Amino acid sequence: MDYKVNDISYKYASGGKEVLRHVNFSIEQGKVTAIVGPSGCGKSTLVQIFSQVIPKLLANGELAGSFDVPDKTLVSVVSQSPENQLFGYGVEDAIAFGMENMGLSQEEIAERMDYVLDLLSLQYLRSRSVATLSGGQRQAVCIASVLAMEPDILIMDEPVSSLDPNGKRMVQNILKQLRANGNTTVLVDNNLVWSAGVVDHVIGLLDGEKVFDGTRDEFFRDFALQEKLGVIIPQEVEIYRQLSAHIPELELFYTVEEGKKQLEKLIGRKESDIGGLEEEKKETVVSVHNLSKTFEDGFHALTDVNANIAEGKIVAILGQNGSGKTTFVKHLNGLYKPTEGDVRYRGSSIIHKTVAQISRNIILVFQHPEHMLFEETVEKELSFCARMQQVPFTPEQLEEVLKTYHMEEDRETFPLNLSMGKKHMLTILSVLFSSADVIILDEPTLGMDGFLIRELKAMLEKLSAEGKTVVMISHEIPLVFQTMDEAIILNQGKKIFEGSREALARRSDIFEHINIQLPAVVQLSRDLGFSKICYNVEEFAAMVMERRGA
Amino acid sequence: MDYLQYVDTDSLLHRLDPRTKFAFFLVMAVVTSVIKSGVALLFLFAFFIALWCTCRIPKYILILAGKLKVLLAFIFLLWLILGLFEPPVVEKGPIFFQTVLPFVNGQSIHLCFDWYDLYKGAVYALRIFLMISSFYTVILTTNFSEIILGLQKWKIPYALAFGIGLVFQIIPMIITELKAIMEAQSSRGLEIEECGWATKIRNYVTFSLPLLFRVMSKGQAISLAMHYYQLDFSVRRTAYKGIKATAYDAWFIIANAVTIVITVILRLYFYIPV
Repeated sequence: MDYKVNDISYKYASGGKEVLRHVNFSIEQGKVTAIVGPSGCGKSTLVQIFSQVIPKLLANGELAGSFDVPDKTLVSVVSQSPENQLFGYGVEDAIAFGMENMGLSQEEIAERMDYVLDLLSLQYLRSRSVATLSGGQRQAVCIASVLAMEPDILIMDEPVSSLDPNGKRMVQNILKQLRANGNTTVLVDNNLVWSAGVVDHVIGLLDGEKVFDGTRDEFFRDFALQEKLGVIIPQEVEIYRQLSAHIPELELFYTVEEGKKQLEKLIGRKESDIGGLEEEKKETVVSVHNLSKTFEDGFHALTDVNANIAEGKIVAILGQNGSGKTTFVKHLNGLYKPTEGDVRYRGSSIIHKTVAQISRNIILVFQHPEHMLFEETVEKELSFCARMQQVPFTPEQLEEVLKTYHMEEDRETFPLNLSMGKKHMLTILSVLFSSADVIILDEPTLGMDGFLIRELKAMLEKLSAEGKTVVMISHEIPLVFQTMDEAIILNQGKKIFEGSREALARRSDIFEHINIQLPAVVQLSRDLGFSKICYNVEEFAAMVMERRGA
Repeated sequence: MDYLQYVDTDSLLHRLDPRTKFAFFLVMAVVTSVIKSGVALLFLFAFFIALWCTCRIPKYILILAGKLKVLLAFIFLLWLILGLFEPPVVEKGPIFFQTVLPFVNGQSIHLCFDWYDLYKGAVYALRIFLMISSFYTVILTTNFSEIILGLQKWKIPYALAFGIGLVFQIIPMIITELKAIMEAQSSRGLEIEECGWATKIRNYVTFSLPLLFRVMSKGQAISLAMHYYQLDFSVRRTAYKGIKATAYDAWFIIANAVTIVITVILRLYFYIPV
């Protein structure tokens, strides 16, 4: 039996804007349904209606239509921030919480706990405290705690948005397991990169209206719709999108292996003849010398790290969570003082300067925009750095940035009321008005949809063209490879690689070591024996067509 | 390192029934309120040190002492200054300085700085430190899930016990948030290191807005999660884990009882009115 979304319309206040308009679809039992759409399309409102937050907790709105489910249907939600959802000190406490609320007996709780821990392969976490878990492990425990309540429908609301590649893989495996187990799962996420291989059914929402209802393959074949919804899709599907316009016989593929098989049939395979590397002469703007950091509790976050950041380049800092990336960049702007070693900006040590003084040259944009926003309007927030550093700016300059990044209408908006992606973009835009020529971005794509990521990419290229240096921490590996000139890779507090993108693309051993996948275009360029490694889909498609024509 | 948080280790105090630890705090709060003898308090302090060392938490208590140093110095100085206006209670002992200052209407003020002023300041500072540290001894060795269980066993309504447990879960989050906000703003050019007190206070007011919003959004997320987990305080819930007093609790109670008896005896023999 399916669960029916029956002509649902909703307004948060009577007389207000309709955030959902006559939405109809079915959630298929035992399947994974993905609800996609840009920020503000009504996805979160639907989750609140499914989970009875509307009207039980939010009773002031106007709800029309219904979510038709049998009596006593239990709907549970896994949110994007497991730290706000786990109640209890230990993993067992957190998993038991929901079952205790349901009044289950001790024996039944123990039985169900064993079952979910086995199902999700989490027995090894059983006696750990929640505070010591990684992001992925917390999310996995959160899913276990909800599953233990045996919900009829499990909703996952952007469950991997703040996870590293390992964490994403862990949640991806859990989703596969749930599907195999016949659980009904609803995934609310505009990023389908990690879940494309598992999703069965896709619902597209735009401005509160349903604009798509179909299978996964139908969705991924509708390129115009993907663009319109700003959905982030796997690079494999992007390759298919680009190539299928010229090669109609190409079949949709979701993995590098599937793509390789098809492309080998079409263009054959050659032995790799990627040329040698040319050394480029570079000016160092920031240098790190024998940097070590040991925290008060004895944790060695960085060990003897040496690195040179070249002027005017985009430098990616890569590694799994806990590898020391954030600790490293916090030394570059003075937030952390080294236990040993030195950090120099244009040859002069910065370690005795204050963070505000350093920010005139090196500025850091944090991962969570809410930590940075506190002005009353978007316009004032934009000029915050300039005012703090007494850098002159004109209203015309502000106007131009607002216009370029489509924020004119938000000029007088309270910044914290913006969508997550726009909040993040605003914090990045505000540092454009500072005097700093080294800009550090920590996970800049967090919360951004496809439209904003495209704008961010253009901004990075513009900054680089203007001679500014950008240091970027990001888990979005395809974007990193499209934009970076150089990379520094950290693993367990030690530097294991420093060099150009070209040098890095030749070192798949490093990526295996840190358990991160190279982008599909890089893997396929090498596997198909191209004469050069491609970093973006357009370039890759051109190479395929060139070989096919030859 | 956050001194307020539970320290995850295995020790005698960690193994105790939370109720025993609550009782320890209550008894010690009463004892340190009543006992004003320096010798007796020093003995109690020695007992506390032995307890902290046994339970491997002395470094956290040192951090706590560091945080409290301004408060303790203020209490010490306050009682020292008040003591300047009083003659020594006990005749024996050195007087470092004394003078008579003329006051209005031909009256005069007798100022006397003697050893007893130092003693009084030290006794009051030690009492406050012992009282606060007994509370932290419980917090450092009892996680919030155990706090909730312990309070429930004391027949405290679950809504209240859960609220208290939640406070201990949320406080470290708020401290982390405030730190992140301060770091983020200084990274954008707001000077918070080399600035005067007035600017520092103004900065804290500035930080309060994003902090308030972060706390509100966390509060909202937590209340949604309570709904997802079907938490309803009007419905009787069960408990997966139980708590039970063991032989450790008996030994701990005996050790405390002996310590309190000795402290009282020392108070009777070595009391100087303060």
